[in-house]
Amino acid sequence: MQKDKFFREIENVNHPNEKLIKTHCSYCGMQCGMNLRVNTLTNKIVGVEPRYEWPVTVGKMCPKGVTAYQQTNHKDRILKPLIRDDSSLNGTKEGFREASWEEALTLVAKNFKELQAHYGKDSLSVFSGVSMTNEKCYLTGKFARVALGTRYIDYNGRFCMSSAAGGFLRTFGVDRGSTLPWTDIHETDCLFIAGSNTAECHPTSMFRVWAVQERGGYLIVADPRETPLARRADIHLDLRPGTDLALANGILHLLIKNGHADEQFVNQHTNGFEETKELVEQFTPAYTSMITGVSIEKIERAAEVYGKAPNAIVMFARGIEQQHKGVDNVSAYCNLALVTGKIGRPKAGVATFTGQGNGQGGREHGQKSDLLPGYRKITDPKAVEHVSKVWGINPEDMPQPGVSAYEMFELMEQKTIRGLYLLCSNPAVSAPNLNFVRNAMKNLDFMVCSDFYLSESAEFADVILPSVTWSEDEGTVTNLEGRIIKINKAQEPIGESKPDWQMQVELANLLGKGKHFDHLKTARDVAEEFRLATKGGNADYYGATWDKIDKQDGVFWPCREKEDKGTPHMFLDNKFYHSDGRAKICALPYRPPAEEPCEEYPLRLTTGRVVYHYLSGNQTRRIPFLKDMCPDPYVEVHPSTAEKYNINHDEVVKLFTRRGKAEYKVKITEAIREDTVFVPYHFGHDESINLLTIAALDPMSRMPEFKACAVEIEKLDTGKVL
Amino acid sequence: MTKRKLYLELENCIGCRSCLAACTQCGGHEQKNRNYVYDVNPLVNRQTMPLMCLHCADPACARSCPAQAIQIHETGAVLSALVEKCIGCQNCTIACPYGIPKFDEEENLMYKCDLCIDRTKDDIPPMCASVCPSNTLQWLTEEEIEMKKQSHDVGNDKWVTSMHYLEGETNVTVNLPGILQGTVKLF
Ligand code: SF4
Ligand code: SF4
Ligand code: SF4
Repeated sequence: MQKDKFFREIENVNHPNEKLIKTHCSYCGMQCGMNLRVNTLTNKIVGVEPRYEWPVTVGKMCPKGVTAYQQTNHKDRILKPLIRDDSSLNGTKEGFREASWEEALTLVAKNFKELQAHYGKDSLSVFSGVSMTNEKCYLTGKFARVALGTRYIDYNGRFCMSSAAGGFLRTFGVDRGSTLPWTDIHETDCLFIAGSNTAECHPTSMFRVWAVQERGGYLIVADPRETPLARRADIHLDLRPGTDLALANGILHLLIKNGHADEQFVNQHTNGFEETKELVEQFTPAYTSMITGVSIEKIERAAEVYGKAPNAIVMFARGIEQQHKGVDNVSAYCNLALVTGKIGRPKAGVATFTGQGNGQGGREHGQKSDLLPGYRKITDPKAVEHVSKVWGINPEDMPQPGVSAYEMFELMEQKTIRGLYLLCSNPAVSAPNLNFVRNAMKNLDFMVCSDFYLSESAEFADVILPSVTWSEDEGTVTNLEGRIIKINKAQEPIGESKPDWQMQVELANLLGKGKHFDHLKTARDVAEEFRLATKGGNADYYGATWDKIDKQDGVFWPCREKEDKGTPHMFLDNKFYHSDGRAKICALPYRPPAEEPCEEYPLRLTTGRVVYHYLSGNQTRRIPFLKDMCPDPYVEVHPSTAEKYNINHDEVVKLFTRRGKAEYKVKITEAIREDTVFVPYHFGHDESINLLTIAALDPMSRMPEFKACAVEIEKLDTGKVL
Repeated sequence: MTKRKLYLELENCIGCRSCLAACTQCGGHEQKNRNYVYDVNPLVNRQTMPLMCLHCADPACARSCPAQAIQIHETGAVLSALVEKCIGCQNCTIACPYGIPKFDEEENLMYKCDLCIDRTKDDIPPMCASVCPSNTLQWLTEEEIEMKKQSHDVGNDKWVTSMHYLEGETNVTVNLPGILQGTVKLF
């Protein structure tokens, strides 16, 4: 792998009685390289040391990464299986007793069998996550389909990456989150970043982002807030939440009108240009400005700069994706690159900032309700045949597609689903419309949760299985570039905790499906089977052996053969993955957010992350430094809005929507639109902003609209101010 | 002598406070961070800036110390108070123009940035500059710093971003916000 200008030969410090284990961060899709410091006398992880030689992040880490090691030997770790006999305590932390693995797994198997005997195979469900290795993600999909034989499996990527996936598949015919390696970013001439608070959510991208400006390149940012990224943008498109599609259409209109379309590229490598051109004609700067609230001058300037840039990268994240038109937003932004031909070469392309550590790999290999390993469709008989062979099952026994994450809660409510195996996720904080979701979980006949801390979701479980942190197991993850990398084990599992793949092998045995799982004795065994299962699929990992990953500093998929070095840049031959080899330029009519502000709920609520926390906060809220830096949620309010409501900085107010209410401290800031308020989503119980968010789902990706709904503020002491 | 020096480019700061988290990871820092990150104007925007010890050539902190507890390393790093010498008078915390030295009430002991002397004595970057995701904190050679100075010095009487020293000569170089003022756009 190439070493770029940020790379320096630097020796690591090795403290006495310590060794360094090379690995990557446990949290976001950046997957920053790090060394874990392990005490050689106690064999425990004691700290972190930068990994200067990792080409993507050259030693850099955000505060989550620096303190990530503190998860492993944390006092809150669950050390033994826990059982709760008194189901009246469901929904609380109370009533759990320690149990042996044998008792706990036998109880799980017994309940699973009974439920399936009474209510059919599909009465069980699996809800998983992608903050775990490819090997675990792969085996979880196999466990659901083979050991449980249920159709109902889905995962937390539905709340994260599914719109990006849907948009990329429709536009390019393949869903690799970035068309180029991150080491290209600082060399491009223009970054157009939409709906990403990069400085807080993917901080270690920032030295490359700033370097574009230092070279004289441009930074265009579309965000309702003046985030630490937008603060320094050459052009900040401060749009209303939920209006991204209009903005992208408006920019595309100007690109075409002003002669920035690359006709040759469009003619030879794409479909759909004419109807798209016709559709976006309506999106004049004035019309676009009316919908988005962004000034005409800024829209025109952004189109001019992106259009003129020799090379440009369009990047986006949950801001545009977590909407009920998230897939359309993604395709609309990809349109910019396709129409101008700024794709399929180094330093130009499209990328999404993957949220979770393995948000890319975890969505490719069969945790999604309709997918099998290698990004194969479960509705494709050839795919079913291939995977059935690897799994040693009869193709007729492959379950049908299930439903998406949020829809599983609807089925729990209706008692279609009665049992849940939850792992690597905390939907009691991260799902939208939480009053409904928490009730649905309470409504289950039986729930087992695997986690290394007692999460808010674990409070609904009958059995809790202690899993391991990322540092106590090994395997691969696929970072936001599409680069498959290796997570190494630094310490033995503490207490009686076990990796999820091992629990699944043991449970499969108790469920009478041992013959499909028994040969999996190590994470590497799982990896070997996993590679075979992906062979021939779009996301082909067959050639990505652990040795190659080590030697090459990671392997970009697709990597089809042992000799294949992988694919850092996608589409260099201008061949896209649709059957005719062309990419699709999409004509996308504008739709407003599902819930627009009205008299009763006059403001727009948007949600997101802070730099100190990760997802539902189940991990980061327990880390002292991170908790000190951001102990509580808050609501960001513009000073003029605060004046209207007669509320002050630090005052506690009530926010409410049609679905729920919660109280937050006010943070006054001019760095937000007057018509918008923002609350970070990392907090549990009464503090969860997802009590208020709306479950309006994207028709294709089934992504809920976390980023826009209608809200009202109530001043607490004097009541509502008119 | 180390080949590199700490260099700060305040404009880049994204307020992540990774520098503070990383500070605790240096051997001998006992989980207490020694520097500061400020929100410049929190009710208005998200501009933040780190405040690090500048390792003054003639440090006020050391000069003010009646017990000679603050030693200067041969690299120029102004070290934390020697445990056996510090009498806990807190003169240094008042003397430093930037309020850098911190005071541990329980131990009755001053502690401050020692530029990760365990690392920097061998030219390994200090923890803060190693992790800083935005390149606000960098560990650069004299030549690299000189190049930075030239590219960022606008000389239009409006922006004096490259400061050789602030209160006095320092071993750390600081670039105030405004570094992009002199950048020539590519197109
Ligand atoms: S959370 Fe993300 S940016 Fe921060 S250290 Fe971990 S991988 Fe890097
Ligand atoms: S690590 Fe760098 S960007 Fe983060 S607060 Fe410190 S100086 Fe600023
Ligand atoms: S900045 Fe303050 S603490 Fe640092 S050397 Fe100068 S006087 Fe001493």
